[in-house]
Amino acid sequence: MTALTRTSGFTSVPRGLTILVTAAAVLAPLLLILYQSFLSAPFFDAKKTIGIGAYQFIFADPDFWQASLNSVVIATCMVIIALPLGALLAFVMERTDLPAKRWIEPLILVPSFVSPMVLAFGFVVAAGPVGFYTVWATELFGGAPWGIYSLTSIGVIAGLLHVPNVYVYASAALKSLGSDVEEAARVAGASPFRVAATVSLPLIMPALLFAAVLVFFLGFELFGLPLVLGDPEGHLVLSTYLYKLTNKLGVPSYHLMAAVAICIVAVTFPLVLLQRFLLQNARKYATIKGKAGRMRELPLGQWKWVAAALIATWLFVGVIVPLTGIALRAFVTNWGYGAKLAEVLTLEHFQSVFDEPILVRAIWNTVLIGTVGGAIAVACYCAIGFATHRRNDGWSRFVDYLVLVPRAIPGLLAGLAFLWVFLFFPPLQPLRTTIFSMWLAYTVVWLAYGMRLISSSLMQVSTELEEAARTVGANRGQVSRQITLPLIRHGLIASWLLVFMIFEREYSTGVYLLAPGTEVIGAQLVSLWQGGAIDVVAALSFVNVVLVGIGLAIALRFGVKLRD
Amino acid sequence: MAELTVDNLHLTYGDNPILKGVSLTLNRGEVVSLLGPSGSGKTTLLRAVAGLETPHQGTIRVGDKVVFDGAARTDVPAEGRNLGLVFQSYALWPHKTVFDNIAYGLKLRNIAGSEVKERVTTALAQLSLGHLGDRFPHQLSGGQQQRVALARALVYNPPVILLDEPLSNLDAKLREEARAWLRELIVRMQLSALCVTHDQSEALAMSDRILLLNNGRIEQQGTPQQMYSDPVSLFTADFMGSNNKLAGRVTEVREGTALLEGEGFKLWGTARQSAKAGAEGTGMIRLERIRLADGPGDNRLEVGLTTSMYLGDKWEHLFALGEARLRAYGDKPLTPGKHWLEVPRDGLWVF
Repeated sequence: MTALTRTSGFTSVPRGLTILVTAAAVLAPLLLILYQSFLSAPFFDAKKTIGIGAYQFIFADPDFWQASLNSVVIATCMVIIALPLGALLAFVMERTDLPAKRWIEPLILVPSFVSPMVLAFGFVVAAGPVGFYTVWATELFGGAPWGIYSLTSIGVIAGLLHVPNVYVYASAALKSLGSDVEEAARVAGASPFRVAATVSLPLIMPALLFAAVLVFFLGFELFGLPLVLGDPEGHLVLSTYLYKLTNKLGVPSYHLMAAVAICIVAVTFPLVLLQRFLLQNARKYATIKGKAGRMRELPLGQWKWVAAALIATWLFVGVIVPLTGIALRAFVTNWGYGAKLAEVLTLEHFQSVFDEPILVRAIWNTVLIGTVGGAIAVACYCAIGFATHRRNDGWSRFVDYLVLVPRAIPGLLAGLAFLWVFLFFPPLQPLRTTIFSMWLAYTVVWLAYGMRLISSSLMQVSTELEEAARTVGANRGQVSRQITLPLIRHGLIASWLLVFMIFEREYSTGVYLLAPGTEVIGAQLVSLWQGGAIDVVAALSFVNVVLVGIGLAIALRFGVKLRD
Repeated sequence: MAELTVDNLHLTYGDNPILKGVSLTLNRGEVVSLLGPSGSGKTTLLRAVAGLETPHQGTIRVGDKVVFDGAARTDVPAEGRNLGLVFQSYALWPHKTVFDNIAYGLKLRNIAGSEVKERVTTALAQLSLGHLGDRFPHQLSGGQQQRVALARALVYNPPVILLDEPLSNLDAKLREEARAWLRELIVRMQLSALCVTHDQSEALAMSDRILLLNNGRIEQQGTPQQMYSDPVSLFTADFMGSNNKLAGRVTEVREGTALLEGEGFKLWGTARQSAKAGAEGTGMIRLERIRLADGPGDNRLEVGLTTSMYLGDKWEHLFALGEARLRAYGDKPLTPGKHWLEVPRDGLWVF
C-alpha cells in the first residue's frame, strides 16, 4: 500500500533549485550564528577556539539577566494591554453599528505599517520631558502627569502599538462566527459590552490565545521602542543588550552577540511553533462554528459614544501623538518651554537632509528596495509558493517549516547573521556593500509574511481550474505559468504593495548591514539617533512616514486588503 | 473495441479505502454511467481514470496504452493521457475568453494558429456557441458555460470523454433539455463517454450501460432496462426508481417464486438470489406496479388510506398496513377508509 511515484512531473529542476536556494538563504545565517556562539573570538580571528566561554560570559553578566527580566516584563505588559483592547475593538468593529467604521478600519492598522523606530522617536518629541504635548499640557494645566521613559511606560506604549495585531486575528475569528448567539444574549437582556464579554469573546478564545502568544513573542523582538525610550533611564531589553554589546568590550565581540542571539532564538522559536499549533487549532474551531454570512449589527445605542471615545483615545495616543510629534519636529528649529510655534517654523532640516549625499542615497535606496526589491521579493515568494502549491510531499512540509525559521529570528539578529554570511563566504564579499545584501536580508526576514500573502492568493484558485488544464494536456509548469499565475496576478500586485510598505518600514534588519552603499532610511535613523542628530532624524522620519503613506494611499485607493 | 479498460482498481485516502477493486470497460461509441450514492467512489473513479487521483493497485488502459499499472509502477500524469474531462463546476478559466478556453488544448499540442482557429470555430458551431467566442466565462449563462466546457474537452478529439455530474449545476427545467441535447450530441458525434451521476433518472435516460457503485464496489452493471427491471440485489432495487418496502419472513421458496409473510400480509413474489425459506426477507415493489383493486383476491392487501397527494398528472396515495406504509399511484382521489391493493407476482421482488 505504498504511494506510487509518478513517472514524470515528480521532481523538476526549477522546483529543486527553488527549495535549495530557500533552504540555503534561511539556514546559513542561523547555522552561522550557532557556530559563532561556540567560538571564543570572531570567526575570522585566527586565534579562535571552540567552547562555551561566550555563554559563560553573558550568563555571568547581571545586565543580561536584567535585560531578560525587562523583556519578560514588557512582553507581559503588552499582552495585558493589547489583548483586551484589541478584542474589544474587534467586537465593536465587527459586530456593532458604530458609525464611520469604513474610515476607522485603516486607521486602526496604521501602527502596524509605521516603523516602530519612527513612532518611538515620535513619542519622545511629542510626550518626552520637553515634547510638544508635554509643553502644551504644562502651559495649560501647570504639569503633565506622564513620563515615557520608565519600564512600564515602554510596556504600555508597546502594548498600545500592538493592539492591531490582536485586532486582526480577533476580527477574523468574529467574522466566521454566526451572529445568532449574540442576538440570543441581547434578547435575554444583556448590554452590548456584556454580550462581548460573556458570549462573543469567549467563543473566539482560541484566536485570542493565539494573539496573546503572538504579542508576547513580538515583545521579545522589540528593538526600536526600548532603544529610544529605554535609553534615558538605562533600561535594557535582550535586543538592546545585544546591540550595546558591540561597545562593551571595545573589540568586536561577535561570539557574545551570537550567544545572546541564540538565547533570544531559544525563546522565540518555541513561541513560533506554539503559534503555528494554536493557529491550526483556532482554524479548527472556526470551521466547527462557521455559520457566517448572516451578520446582523448589534445596535449600540448610547454605548456608541463610549465606544467611539475609547477608539478615539487609543488612536490619539497610539497614532496621532507620535505622528504629529514627528511632523511638527521636522519643521521647527528647536522646541522647549517658551518657544512659539510660529516663530520656530523652518524647512532647513529637509535642506540638510538633501544636502547630505549619504541621506539622499538612503532615501533613494529605500524607495528602490521597496519598489524593485519588493517586486523581486514577491517573485521569490511566488516561486517558493509554486514549489509547494498542491504538492503534499515531504519537500512541501520541509518548506512549510523552513519559512517559520526566519519568523523566530528578530530583524536585528537576522541583519547581524547576514553580515556574517557575507563576511564568511568569500565569493559573497563583493556584494556586501551593495544594496543586494540589504535586500536579501529583508526578503528572508519577511519570508513568512510574504508566503502568507502568496498562499492566500493561491488558495483562492480553485483546484479544478488547474486540473482542467492538466486534463487538456498541460504539464505542471505550463499550468503554473499559463493558468495559475494569470489568475493570481491581482493578488500578486496587492502583495507587492504590502511588501513595499513593510520594506519601507523595516529598520532593525539593516542596523548591522549599514555601510557605504547600503544606506536605507530605517537603519540610518538608528545610527543617527545614536549620534544625537535630532533635527535630521525628525526630517528623515517624516520622509519615511510619507513613503509608507503613499503606499497606504495607493492600497486604499485600489481596495487592497491590508490584512489577510 | 474497448476504448477504456479499468481492471481491479483500488484506491485509499489515508486509511480510508475509497475504491475496493473496480473493473469496467467502455466500448467505442458507448455511454456508460457511473451511478451511486454520495461516498460510493464514483467521482474518485472518474478522477483516477483522468489521472487526478493516484490508485495503489490495478490497471487503467486507454485504448491499448497502459496509463496506470500499480504493479509495474506506471502512472502517466493527467496531461499525458489525452482524455477530455468536463468538471461539475465546468472549471472554465476566468481569465481566458471562450475561444481561448477551447483553443488551449490545441495550442498545447502545438497545432498551427490557422488550424486552431478553424477547429475552435467548428467546435463552437457544433455546440451552437458560434457568436460567443469573444466573451468571458462570467458573461455566459449556466447552460452556455456547460457547452463551453464540453467544447473544451472535445476539441482535440480525445478517445474518451469523462463527464462529472454534467447536468447538476443547471436548474431543473434546463436540466431535462440539456439531457436530451447531450444524449443527441454524444450519439451524433459518436463519442465514447464515461459519465458520473447520482441521479438515477439521468443515468437511465443518458446511458447505454449503467454501473451502480456501492461503497467502492460495483454493485451491478447492465443496460438501463436491466438495471431497472431486473435488479440482483436489494441495494440496486432500492436505488433505482420509487419503491415500497415490506419487511417479513420468507416461508416458502418454490420454482423461482417466494412467499413473504409479515404483519397482516402474505404475498407471493419472484424470489431473488438471496431469498431463503425460513429467513428474514424484504419485499420490494415499484410504486407504479401496485394497483388499486376493487375487492379481496389473489396477492391482494387490505389497507387503510392515510392521506393522498396530488402530483399534477396523477395522485399518490399513502396507505397503512399495520406499522408499514405503502404508496401507490392512482388517477383519481380516494374516499377515506379501507381499500384493496393488488401486488402482481412478477412485480414483487423478494430478497
